[in-house]
Amino acid sequence: MVHLAHLLMKNYHGGHVAIRMALGGCANRPFFRIVAAYNKRARDSKYLEQVGCYDPLPNSHNEKLVGLNIERIKHWIGCGAHVTKPVEKLLGLSGFFPLHPMTITNAERLRKRRALKAIAASEEETPVTCWCGFTESKARRDNYDNLV
Amino acid sequence: MAALGVPRWRCLWRRAAAPLGLRRPGRALLGSRGYGQDAGSEADKEKSDVTKPCFTDELVQRLLSKMTGLDLQKIFRPIKQELKPPTYKLMTEKQLAEATRKAIKEAKELLKMPPVLSEREPIDDVLAEDRILEGTETVKYVFTDITYSTPHRERFIVVREPSGVLRKATWEERDRMIQVYFPREGRKLVPPPIFKDENLMTVFREDRHEDVLNLCIAQFEPDSANYIRVHHQTYEDIDKHAKYDLLRSTRHFGGMVWYLVNRKKTDGLLINMIQRNL
Repeated sequence: MVHLAHLLMKNYHGGHVAIRMALGGCANRPFFRIVAAYNKRARDSKYLEQVGCYDPLPNSHNEKLVGLNIERIKHWIGCGAHVTKPVEKLLGLSGFFPLHPMTITNAERLRKRRALKAIAASEEETPVTCWCGFTESKARRDNYDNLV
Repeated sequence: MAALGVPRWRCLWRRAAAPLGLRRPGRALLGSRGYGQDAGSEADKEKSDVTKPCFTDELVQRLLSKMTGLDLQKIFRPIKQELKPPTYKLMTEKQLAEATRKAIKEAKELLKMPPVLSEREPIDDVLAEDRILEGTETVKYVFTDITYSTPHRERFIVVREPSGVLRKATWEERDRMIQVYFPREGRKLVPPPIFKDENLMTVFREDRHEDVLNLCIAQFEPDSANYIRVHHQTYEDIDKHAKYDLLRSTRHFGGMVWYLVNRKKTDGLLINMIQRNL
């Protein structure tokens, strides 16, 4: 049999397959398709295969729906596909991958920021001065461990 | 609709039968089957069986289908379809007999009883606890495995709560997600309000038990709480008002008889059958 399909397809030099999100939907209503495509292709253009979907807006039961075709994702990763960060984070949340380090880092950063804000809100005006003349609030001084 | 549903239920039957174990009925049962009307053998079955017969036993199925009867006029009465003018065919006696035989075969197919299963256990399985993620999200994430070839019962559907806990989805969530990604004909995402208790009363007053049961089969899984509740309420209502003829030649008759026999409320039904000389 004569194989002509590969000659007709576009040849990429040094490209690879990526599992990434393609944006669709309407104005003020995004919807992502998780897609295996060549990484040189435009974000929404022709892909090799659709491998899932993600709806970023929560539904009436307060859930964000994510569909993942695990069998095909495994196949593409087996073929050497790269996975982009948002998809990696989603897969980490789902339990298919381990939790992404940035998810954990962002969670910790958020926690610290919230702690700071709580301290700032409950800051009493009782400045404490140390021997070198540096003044700060008592609450902040007591809560150094939570901030750092 | 029945044709669509049958293959799925057949595999459900196999799954249901496997853990329950198809028990062979005892000698006493086989002996009692020989004589008497079905009314008589029913009473004997209750007294003399040691092992509890299953709904899926062949003997039970045969008895139930015999009692259901085969009223062709009722089974093939006109259902709401597209309007087309009636076709008239000219047939010889032999062709007519052939057509009647085919009609009987199709009727038997339509009369396949929907499965009777016990209520499903609630799923309560935590896969991972990542308390670090607490407070980052205000929304749950529901992840569904949309591989086409996995059976729906074995599909992975997990939920990541805003508290960071990764757990398996409950049965209601599972049904909803499977309906979203693999929509089934006749099933709605939100169960229609006809299945609420007040509305069921209204429907029963209008004698539309069969329609309610058909809708119920289309909407709910056979082992869900709603399915069992609706079926039990329908059977209770029929028993209360002795409206057994409504379900006489339908596929719900077997289930109703099984329910009444298990709760030993067969008096009304037996009187009805004796009066009609069955």
